[in-house]
Amino acid sequence: MAVENAIESEGLTKRFGDLVAVDALDLSVAKGSIFGLLGPNGSGKSTFIRMLCGVLQPSAGKASVNGFDVAKQPEEIKRSIGYMSQSFSLYRDLSPQENLEFFGGIYGLRGAKLKERTSAVIELVGLQRYVSQPSGTLSGGWKQRLALAAALIHEPPLVFLDEPTAGIDPVARRQLWDLLFELAGQGKTLFVTTHYMDEAERCSEVAYIYLSKLMVHGTPPELKALPELSPSGTRRLAISTDRPPVALQVLKVMPYVRDATLVESDIHLLIDEAATNEEIVRKLTEAGLTTSGVRTAEASLEDVFVTLTRRLAQT
Amino acid sequence: MNGLASILRKEFMHLRRDRTTLVIAMLLPLIQMIIFGYAIDFDVRHIPAVAVDLDHSRESRDYLEQLQATQYLDFDATADTPDQAADMLRSGKVRVAVTIPPDFARTMAQGGNPQVGVMIDGSDAQVSVRARFAFLAPQPLSKGVPQARVNVLFNPDSRTVNFMIPGLLVVVLQVVTVALTAFSVVREKEMGTLEQLMVTPVGRLALMLGKLLPYAVLAMAEFAVVLFVGDVVFGVQPHGSLLALSVIAVPFVIATLALGLLISTLAQTQGQALQFTLLTVMPSILLSGYVSPRETMPGWLYVISTFIPATHFMQATRGIIVRGAGFFDLVPQFMILWLIAAVLIALSTARFRKSVS
Repeated sequence: MAVENAIESEGLTKRFGDLVAVDALDLSVAKGSIFGLLGPNGSGKSTFIRMLCGVLQPSAGKASVNGFDVAKQPEEIKRSIGYMSQSFSLYRDLSPQENLEFFGGIYGLRGAKLKERTSAVIELVGLQRYVSQPSGTLSGGWKQRLALAAALIHEPPLVFLDEPTAGIDPVARRQLWDLLFELAGQGKTLFVTTHYMDEAERCSEVAYIYLSKLMVHGTPPELKALPELSPSGTRRLAISTDRPPVALQVLKVMPYVRDATLVESDIHLLIDEAATNEEIVRKLTEAGLTTSGVRTAEASLEDVFVTLTRRLAQT
Repeated sequence: MNGLASILRKEFMHLRRDRTTLVIAMLLPLIQMIIFGYAIDFDVRHIPAVAVDLDHSRESRDYLEQLQATQYLDFDATADTPDQAADMLRSGKVRVAVTIPPDFARTMAQGGNPQVGVMIDGSDAQVSVRARFAFLAPQPLSKGVPQARVNVLFNPDSRTVNFMIPGLLVVVLQVVTVALTAFSVVREKEMGTLEQLMVTPVGRLALMLGKLLPYAVLAMAEFAVVLFVGDVVFGVQPHGSLLALSVIAVPFVIATLALGLLISTLAQTQGQALQFTLLTVMPSILLSGYVSPRETMPGWLYVISTFIPATHFMQATRGIIVRGAGFFDLVPQFMILWLIAAVLIALSTARFRKSVS
């Protein structure tokens, strides 16, 4: 039977003493997808990834990665995946070339094949100019590209990327994502964790973990259409005014405003349906502000996660 | 004095939370005082000796019993000829050989003073001086009085350096080689590179041996350096085969490097690895027989000293350099060193987990 999903997890659980770090996680990741895993720090993301990578034994439940059982075949899993950590974890005193040859050797590549793979990944990430300087002297963005190259040296069908863009500049971030799209285009499955909503929007599937539990899993449009985001009797508005931060303080305290935030200098509101646009404009005018536009808005992924997190925190 | 109080408070807080340092700081002096207090004892007794009784008379047996009764000598070996006894001296099995002439009883009966041949291994001055005491004790035998003709073999002029340098080079080598590998694994842990290695299919034993063997080459070069200094600066040259010495040095440096590796898998930080490494220094000096002979140690301490690689290699360096012993005299030490090396590598491999907890 052909394996349809790169990752299948059923009731996967990890306990550290009394602490439940990952609580009965059911999740499947389709082959070829860019899968985004989101969740606050300490929510269990890292523990989940470690179990999937075969470096942490689950306490209960089961999971398979590339068709291998995480509890019974960790070494087979390690051979079939690439892993890129958020902090640079290659050898700083070795050059990119030396690092890549080292990791290629660990994965059993030899001779001509090793040479071919090393040049292929160097070319893929565009490292040609920096192959012989110590890796520790590369900038953050180049370090991450080198780490990605190392994760790809043995042509794994599935790559885990743990906050790959943490702490690198926007241009490098964009270039890294361009690379990820290219890899996805070649049919690789990418499992990415991130705190950035714009990165989540780029994923073909997104899951959100909160307090060790999986809260939602779906495509970004599916998540934005969740009924929890548009409770009956409410609607979403985007308002353009001068001095948006002041306007936000004015509107936030109105009894009919359920949620208010700033997005690209617009104010996004979730309000009771009964409240009219005119009422809102009047409030802003009373505060000495000029409103230049009021329109209906869509929920963003951020709204999805903020809303779901608040709901869980209240119960 | 800006901020002194704050710094003091902060340092006390660090100290209170760093349990390992606290335990090492408090417990260690206690343990070391007790162990090393027993280890350093220059009042050598029960020196291993061999008897060559060519007379086989009641008188000769009485004489040997008297020597044994002084407690300086322990006759736990016998030999048929003085040559055999000399071989045992060179190989280090015994330190004293007593040869009783065939006419011992007859000469005594005639009121003469029979000459007893005594060979003493002079390589360790403390031992050889004590060994002589056995023959100074009063001999209340009837009529004749046996005369001990003492012949000091090896290092006859009792130069201390001849004995100390072969020991010192072992101590120096053990301390520096343990430090070579003590940081290897924990450094990768601290740098974060271990995280990447864990998700690869690298074998645990491959990782351990791969980390150890390059340093074995370096350690052998260090061995050559300390030998060279011993020769050129202190004038101590091996009486035996340099090749034999080097062959025995191989399992020794592998054992000490493996000890460093084990430290590296136990330590959580490089700072801890340094503390653990320092812990190995005192035992390798005080328990290895470098400072005072192992014969003086209480039984339990003697057992502990058996697990120290320096103990066995020191027997080899003293044997080959001072007494001109051959490789085959030191096969037991050679085998024990390999055994210690294998056990330490197995322990490090078992300790090292390619998983997190």
